[in-house]
Amino acid sequence: MYQEIEKLLEKYYEGETTLQEEKYIKEFFGKAEVPTHLQHHIAEFAYYRLAARETPSKNLNEELLRRIEKKGRIIQFRAVSLRIAAGVALVLGSFAAGYYYNNKGGEIAIIENPTANSMKETLQFKQVNLTSASERIDAVNQSLKLEELDKELIQLLINTLNFDDNVNVRLAACQALARFESEPAVREGLMQSLKIQTDPNIQITLIELLVMMKEKRASETLEQISKDKAVMDVVRMKAEEGAATLITL
Amino acid sequence: MDLKVFTQSVLQHQSRLFRVAKLFLKNTEEAEDTVQEIFLRLWDKRQQLGAYNSVEALAVQMTKNLCLDKLKSHAYNYTSTGLETVEVSARTYTPHEQTELADSNELLKKIIDDLPEIQKTILHLRDVEEYSFEEIEQITGQTINNIRVILSRARKSVRDSYQKTNNYVSGN
Repeated sequence: MYQEIEKLLEKYYEGETTLQEEKYIKEFFGKAEVPTHLQHHIAEFAYYRLAARETPSKNLNEELLRRIEKKGRIIQFRAVSLRIAAGVALVLGSFAAGYYYNNKGGEIAIIENPTANSMKETLQFKQVNLTSASERIDAVNQSLKLEELDKELIQLLINTLNFDDNVNVRLAACQALARFESEPAVREGLMQSLKIQTDPNIQITLIELLVMMKEKRASETLEQISKDKAVMDVVRMKAEEGAATLITL
Repeated sequence: MDLKVFTQSVLQHQSRLFRVAKLFLKNTEEAEDTVQEIFLRLWDKRQQLGAYNSVEALAVQMTKNLCLDKLKSHAYNYTSTGLETVEVSARTYTPHEQTELADSNELLKKIIDDLPEIQKTILHLRDVEEYSFEEIEQITGQTINNIRVILSRARKSVRDSYQKTNNYVSGN
């Protein structure tokens, strides 16, 4: 009558039972009517069933999620803080460059003209909230009338390129600056800008400009962009192409 | 892998991981800490988890390894403080221990605990967690044939030790 379970037990101790058979054995020994000659097996299987029910204290899951979320926030914060740090570094760098060039050209009297003055006023950083995007584009385009830019205006245009809220204004600033490619400050500014721009339109325009200017120093940045998975594919291709062109020059 | 997917594919195994950790560490609190540590490690490498056949098997394996590492440093601590315990596999229990172990569950726990590490692991994974041989193969790296042999030894050893001690106790 108990041949089946005896056979299964034998298989069990040889490590040859299937999971289903083992389940059956555990159930068999969990029942009330286990024959006397097999009763000494009860404790073993009861123990395994009991052990399988042990769980950690309830707060483990919550505590875990809390720690994971906290970790996620720290990582996010780190990324944001890096971006801010890069921005701050750029502003400081720009000011330093501006200061340097100002001092250099200090002896030459700069004749200010009205076009340049009105431009400066509109593009002042603190004016951004008071002016519309089209007004700022207009102001940027006024630079097209000028034969040359003073250092202050170059800086202003670079700032506009880097920090204006509106993509179109940034694009206009980028194109306006392109006319003055012979200015070292412009070249420097465009290269720095490429490192922080995230809009694909502007990235592509900048890449094209820098390649056109044969700005060899930009090839490293271009290579980095071409490897950056966060950047749009088109931009990465463009950057790779640009880097290749610059290197072979 | 975002938090939601992570919760579904990893955190749901917390009870199993906890039991595996406790099997080695014996202490509830330490086992819970270990599981948390494992989850944080898995969270850090969540982008690579897709490359694994079974994240569960990976998690169990990591838990086991971390526990063994912890035990090693414990053993070191004990040795250096002179509290070293000598492990004897086919041990006999003193009368004092026998009264303590009158409860059969406690006795079985102790017997399983005294098994060699690999036997203990495989016995637990099969008879408590009910893993398939394929899963145990993934976790332990042993071949299925080896697993059967080790499992057979462990089961016989538990049966014999339990019956020996139990007969002795009831015969008294």
